[in-house]
Amino acid sequence: MKKKILVANRGEIACRIIRAIQELGHTAVAIYETPDNGALHIRVADEAIWLGDGPRVDYLDIERIMQVAKRYDIDAIHPGYGFLAENPGLPKACVENDIIFIGPNSEVISNLGNKVMARKIMAGAKIPMVPGTDNLADDEDAAVAEAIVFGEKYGYPIMLKATAGGGGRGIRQVDRPEDVQEQFQIARAEAIAAFASGDIYIEKVVVQPKHVEVQIIADSTGETVHLGTRDCSIQRRNQKLVEIAPSLIPDQGLLDEICETAVRAAKAANYENAGTVEFLIDKDMNYYFMEINTRVQVEHTVTEMVTGIDIVRTQIKLALGKTLLFKQEDVQIRGYAIEMRINAEDPQNDFMPEGGKTVNVYRSPGGYGVRLDGFVYQGYTIPEVYDSLLVKLTVHGYSWNETVDRLRRCLNNYVISGLKTTIPYYIQLVNEPQFQSGDFDTSYIEQHPELADYRDDVSEVNKIAALIAEIHHEKMNPYAI
Amino acid sequence: MSRIVQGMDIKEVLKTVREANGYYITNTARDMSQSDFKNRILLHTDLMAAKAREKAGYFSLEITGGASVHVDILRKQVDPFLKLKLLRDAMPNTMFQTLCRGVNLFGYRPYPQNVIRFTVKEFAKYVDVWRVFDFMNYIPNMQAVFEEVQLAGKILEPCICFSTGPEHTDEYYVSKVKEILAVTGEDIVLCIKNHGGLGTPKRIGDLVSSIKDKYPDLVLHYHGHNTDGNDVGRITSAVLAGAEIVDAGDHSFCGFYGPPPILTVAQTLKEYGKVAVTLDEEAVIESSDVIRDERPHYELFESQFKGFLPTVQIHKLPGGAMGSSLEQADKGGFLAKMPDILHKELPKVQKELGNYWSVTPGSQILWTTAVSNVQGGDRYGNPSGDLRNLLLGKYGPFPFYQPPEWIFEKVLGSDWKQVLKDEGGVEDIADMDIDKERETLEDRLGRKPSEQDLVLYLQHPNDAVEFFKFEEKFGKAHVLPPSIFLKQGGFQLGEEISFTDCYGKEHLISIGPSQKDEDGGTSIFLNVDHNVRNYQMTPPVIEGAGPAAVEMTKDEVEDLAKVGDMRAPFNANICEVSVEVGDTVSSGDKLAVLEAMKMQTPVVAEIDGVIQTIVAKVGDALKTGDKIMKVSDGSEEDDE
Repeated sequence: MKKKILVANRGEIACRIIRAIQELGHTAVAIYETPDNGALHIRVADEAIWLGDGPRVDYLDIERIMQVAKRYDIDAIHPGYGFLAENPGLPKACVENDIIFIGPNSEVISNLGNKVMARKIMAGAKIPMVPGTDNLADDEDAAVAEAIVFGEKYGYPIMLKATAGGGGRGIRQVDRPEDVQEQFQIARAEAIAAFASGDIYIEKVVVQPKHVEVQIIADSTGETVHLGTRDCSIQRRNQKLVEIAPSLIPDQGLLDEICETAVRAAKAANYENAGTVEFLIDKDMNYYFMEINTRVQVEHTVTEMVTGIDIVRTQIKLALGKTLLFKQEDVQIRGYAIEMRINAEDPQNDFMPEGGKTVNVYRSPGGYGVRLDGFVYQGYTIPEVYDSLLVKLTVHGYSWNETVDRLRRCLNNYVISGLKTTIPYYIQLVNEPQFQSGDFDTSYIEQHPELADYRDDVSEVNKIAALIAEIHHEKMNPYAI
Repeated sequence: MSRIVQGMDIKEVLKTVREANGYYITNTARDMSQSDFKNRILLHTDLMAAKAREKAGYFSLEITGGASVHVDILRKQVDPFLKLKLLRDAMPNTMFQTLCRGVNLFGYRPYPQNVIRFTVKEFAKYVDVWRVFDFMNYIPNMQAVFEEVQLAGKILEPCICFSTGPEHTDEYYVSKVKEILAVTGEDIVLCIKNHGGLGTPKRIGDLVSSIKDKYPDLVLHYHGHNTDGNDVGRITSAVLAGAEIVDAGDHSFCGFYGPPPILTVAQTLKEYGKVAVTLDEEAVIESSDVIRDERPHYELFESQFKGFLPTVQIHKLPGGAMGSSLEQADKGGFLAKMPDILHKELPKVQKELGNYWSVTPGSQILWTTAVSNVQGGDRYGNPSGDLRNLLLGKYGPFPFYQPPEWIFEKVLGSDWKQVLKDEGGVEDIADMDIDKERETLEDRLGRKPSEQDLVLYLQHPNDAVEFFKFEEKFGKAHVLPPSIFLKQGGFQLGEEISFTDCYGKEHLISIGPSQKDEDGGTSIFLNVDHNVRNYQMTPPVIEGAGPAAVEMTKDEVEDLAKVGDMRAPFNANICEVSVEVGDTVSSGDKLAVLEAMKMQTPVVAEIDGVIQTIVAKVGDALKTGDKIMKVSDGSEEDDE
């Protein structure tokens, strides 16, 4: 039966989800705040509902969304990522209003969103974890004393983390005992500001780890399968830039073990629908559970490319009551996929966002093994009030080298003008030998400052066009007179 | 077959020419470009004509040398070496010819020996025929080039520069030929270089006969200019008297001061029973036809004055300098004085300065002196540095007689005899540290220069660096036709421009709207290969905004020099700083050298003292009154 599904998100992920809804024959309903009135997601949707002037207010307003959902007879809500995606209040409100939430239930989200609670669940399932603590004492002196004891036991550096944290806020590294107090104060202040909770816990720091995660999908019967690994080590200040599937770690036995561990972790959390289990891997190939993300990830595309499984479509079907159509042994990983987040940022100016600028020219690459998940179009002005992601370029290839070659070709063929993007930075990156070798960890971006060392478009035709522009502007060739 | 092709050695070429039943023609495309189009004929046009010119069966195509090497990088933005490579690809058989100014190479003043040899070696990779001259007909000035050309196995074509007047007798020129042969040996082509197009057909015929009488086996190449409209007459006489090779150009581009039409030469001589062997007249017509439509795009660079100038027999300016001299007069606002300068002062100066040959760089000295004499009123009162060098004998000895003493006194000062004794004579220029220059160039470019880059840099340091920067910014612009590269007045909205880049890729650019930006700049929108791109033009510098620059008078500059504050006496580039901070200098010592309009002028100390500060550096473009350096005589403290 045809359902009305509301997408509680914007940007590329809203477009992505709308496609899946429409492919399934359902009706896609978009919502938007005023700054998004030129956005593509409200145009590709079957219906669009204006929420308010925002910005970033109405998209986060559960009450308002429920209000419109009821008025427009919405059957289900897909939260995407970010905004309300990991807010247990949304699935809770859905249950109360008899609307299907496409994702795990509020209890699962709540448990896994609380880092300390999550660690407890995982400890019960004997999932390997980075040594860590429960919430530190509310009293500052007592908390600092606890931290110093931890540091003595496991060695420095240690990490102070906001229990309710995420997105890199409320996280402070401490390298020596005399810094504990100061860093604790900062972490707590950040945590209170960002998450309205001053709870802090400690984890030992894994130095220069690889970030490997496992996509899992579980249905209501408890059937839980994994869709293999992703490597998301290439990050800048804890924000992922490039994601790869599967992990390039050559030890297949280790990767299989990590995937099985991820399934156990999901089961321990009574997980349902799609999610991601994140791990850190140290230099000695020890792996540690980090967290479970209870949403569709930005980088889900690479997994889709190598498995052939449409994760968002599966999410919707499971939420609407279907069970998994495939078993673990049906999941086959074929080749490699790389996703790059093409952002409206200036890598040469500390990745300063380019919001407010207009896309004068937009021409995207295509061809075999190329996938684009974007929402910009020629003439689109990037709103200043949202994130800077323009489009995700995902390429698939039979081998790692082929995939890198394809990626390079696509980046070279991409034309976005009117604003600066991360494309030239990525062109440097795909030509960098360590990246090409496939052996990198989370320190990669920091260790390669030269990637930002590029110049503007230097193709021959553009150089000559620049001369023609001068001849035209000066009304004579100043270099010939 | 008597066709001469690239790759033949000199003996084979000479044998072929001697045995041929007729004469050969050199297409002097370079001299045509220089004389009638201010050197602006683009490689694009030469490449268009390449196929037909290759077919035409010339002795050679003169396509580089003279001022063209400099203008290639300065105004045409093409690498002179790349130009030769591309033309060679298009014309595998035709010999390429250059015009080399001996010790002055392709520039305006003497280069060190090692630079000369390095330059010739690199150019000899592409150039088959080397026409070499010296404006004083002073053979030692050409010797290094002679040797390198012969070492490279290329065809050496030494010149005797030709002029008219009582001293310019057949005997004199025959003796010069003898001098040349004594250093080159007999395997050469000898050129009679009539750069002004002087003398009558009879005069040229007599000269050729005199040389042929003495050296019957010597292959003669006559080079002339059509400034008076009668070069076909002189060429006819030369060939009838025995010259085997003559110069002419493509008729669709013929003007007034360059070569006469090839076809006219061929048709005329045919009536006398002389055949231009291997010349394919249809190909000559074809090459003119294929480039004919390009000519209007060069209009800006054609002479402001239409018509032949038979008065060249009076003023003797070389064809290659006519266009630029008239342009200078036009821009300098002394057009009205041109008859005075050309017909009265210039012949007078010519005689006073020894009646040498009016060709680069000697022609510039004559011209500048004549202009300065007429403009300034005080004859020889404002001598250029190059005139000074001429009198000091730095270019070589005067061929016939010395200028009168009063000129020496005026230019060199009252103690001119002592100055002449101390400083006179051909300058022995020390070798340059080429490795050090290579490093300097690498620093300036931020990349490793090629050997050919270095050759260009050694010739024209600042202009070469500017050119390399241009290429980095704008790519290989030689792919553009004159209709684009030399476009005047901007393009039409929507106008489509297609071209093939240096990688063989075709492109289409259409002109979009221009839009004023908030900061006063302009955004030019172009549709480049179907992508709209925006090119930002910086706002123009508004004159009068900012502090008004006060232009100093010459007197003020001179007054300041007397207290050691050295400033530029006119708009010029600094081409040499001769002292360092802390050096002790005496009045009259050279401190720096300025260059303006190809002429160098020294800045000399007016007081004894110590160099306190140096503000200007080599390559700086100075305006009148700009500071160069400060000389302190200790009488005052630094007042800044």
